[in-house]
Amino acid sequence: MAAHIRYLIKVCWNRKVSILREITYAQALRESIAQMMRDNKKTILIGEDVGKGYRGCFGVSTGLYEEFGASQVIDTPIAENTVLGTGIGAALMGFKVIVEIMFADFIGVCFDGVLNQIAKINFMSAGQYRLDLVLRMPGGSGQGTGPHHSQCLESIFMNIPGLKVVLPSNAYEAKGLLNYSLNCPDPVIFLEHKRLYKTSMDVPEEAYSIPFGKARIVREGKDLTLVAVSYMVRLAIEAAQILSREHGIEVEIIDPRTLSPLDSETIIESLKKTNRLVTLEEGIKRGGVGAEISARIADEAIEYLDSPIRRIASKNMVNPMSPLLEEAMLPGIDDIVDEIKSLIDR
Amino acid sequence: MAEEKRLNKKTLLDFYYKILLIRRFEQKVYEYVIDGTVKGSVHLCIGEEASAVGTVSAAEKNDYLLPTHRGHGQALAKGTDPSKLMAEIIGKEGGLCKGRVGSMHFFDKDNNVLGAQGILGAQFPISIGVGLSIKLLAQKAVALCYFGDGTSNQGTLFEALNFADIWGLPILFVCINNQYGMGTPYGSTCNLSVSDKAKVFNIRSVIIDGNDVIKVFEAAKELIRLCRIKKRPALIECLTYRHMGHSGFDNRPYRPKDEVREWKKKDPLASILERIRENGIEEDDVKAIGQKVEEIIKKASDFADGSPYPVFDKSMLE
Repeated sequence: MAAHIRYLIKVCWNRKVSILREITYAQALRESIAQMMRDNKKTILIGEDVGKGYRGCFGVSTGLYEEFGASQVIDTPIAENTVLGTGIGAALMGFKVIVEIMFADFIGVCFDGVLNQIAKINFMSAGQYRLDLVLRMPGGSGQGTGPHHSQCLESIFMNIPGLKVVLPSNAYEAKGLLNYSLNCPDPVIFLEHKRLYKTSMDVPEEAYSIPFGKARIVREGKDLTLVAVSYMVRLAIEAAQILSREHGIEVEIIDPRTLSPLDSETIIESLKKTNRLVTLEEGIKRGGVGAEISARIADEAIEYLDSPIRRIASKNMVNPMSPLLEEAMLPGIDDIVDEIKSLIDR
Repeated sequence: MAEEKRLNKKTLLDFYYKILLIRRFEQKVYEYVIDGTVKGSVHLCIGEEASAVGTVSAAEKNDYLLPTHRGHGQALAKGTDPSKLMAEIIGKEGGLCKGRVGSMHFFDKDNNVLGAQGILGAQFPISIGVGLSIKLLAQKAVALCYFGDGTSNQGTLFEALNFADIWGLPILFVCINNQYGMGTPYGSTCNLSVSDKAKVFNIRSVIIDGNDVIKVFEAAKELIRLCRIKKRPALIECLTYRHMGHSGFDNRPYRPKDEVREWKKKDPLASILERIRENGIEEDDVKAIGQKVEEIIKKASDFADGSPYPVFDKSMLE
């Protein structure tokens, strides 16, 4: 945590940002959207229950309708295909568009919009159109939400050319990465996490941006590099504390922040020091984020590895509802500690 | 007919010009398909030209167009440059989209052509965003969203009709009903007419003889006025027939010969020529248009032939 505070102070100092308040991940996202909506009236938020009714299923858009009205905060019928299509059409017409899909799982309903439309229009039109569109959706399990409200689908998006894939792991990251996404003229898949919405930390009041393709070193360590995404960064930190305290193992944690583009350089720099790599994600292990990172490292930096790469991820199974089954599927702190310990002890 | 009298010589000749241009353009594309110049698939609209020309001619230059996968005619009627479209279809650098995407996926921003669709039904949700933007920007424009009878069975049509209705969006949904979705006749896929699907939402809709460019034009004109002034969606279903196969190549074994014969009697190009002659327009004017079209087609194919193929560069990596 000390490294994080040092980092925050450094960022604030460099940007001459002075006002820090403790706010939640959901509030940080809202602040970013509101600042953009004030600066640019052609910024619109489209989604089911984002406005007058529920004000965002997880409270992200609370208060936005009251401030910006129906011309910028657009409630829709339940019809994800047309929710996303509305965003695509508005982006073609020059709007800065934020589309909210209530749960990442629902993207299946409107997957054509992702796969065949937003990812491709910049290339297809040879630059005639650039879709200034951020597609937000939360993934995340561990709360008994079951097969249709729990999945982490980042690896699927990572496989589609034409998309930026962004995963903020805390409130500070959420605001900075969303600001950057909103200023990026290309389509962005912005993957939030349900278990992070209520987590809070100090966040600058002023607008600031965190660029894509630049990983964050969350914790420094000499023994092993642990690349963790989204909510898993929190678990990684807890596991690292246990490993340090109980086993004298110092883990370096890297949060890639964006999977497309992926900052493999920072991972490789870390490996030169630690010579060991573990990846950690909540999505499915097979064909997952860890698989891609492992392959990249095997291609580009295998000479720095002293041991096999290990991937910690969800088991290759459907997200269950029942608590013991869910616990069995998801990576837990013990899994991380055991896996890392066994790798060091080899 | 009273309506026809209002159409002057200039309008009739303009219809003839556009229908002939599309016919000759598509025939040239077919030649390119047969000689192997076109590598990918193309969907030709020979036989359906009047539906595209009548509806687009009823719109304004600033209106927006979402074409189908069979969209060459719709774009040409809107003003898309035939040379750039031809080059795009054969995948050349001089094409609308630098030859990257071909017949089914072209965009033409200069003419407000917001992208042809290779994914049938994807245009409906996008048209809602276009219509909503027109409304938010307080523009006077209308969005024309094209689709076929087969595509009217996609659920996205119903979503879009609903959104357009509740939000009051200026969208004209244009169904080019060519009777078949690939090889399957429409009647075996749905018991409702396409037009009736709009009526479910109390959206004004009409069925029209899609091979009669004047009837299409008159009906579209009225519906577009409704969209523009009342900010309401509308639907026009143009009954027509595709003379060619689904994607230019197939032999149409799924079609009864009598049916083909009957529809060919109602060829839109022959019909407009007949109207022109009934109106006493001089043969010289007709011939002049024929010559002009031949020159445009020659210019388009020369341009497309002469343009290089695009080559890969690293900026294409995502």
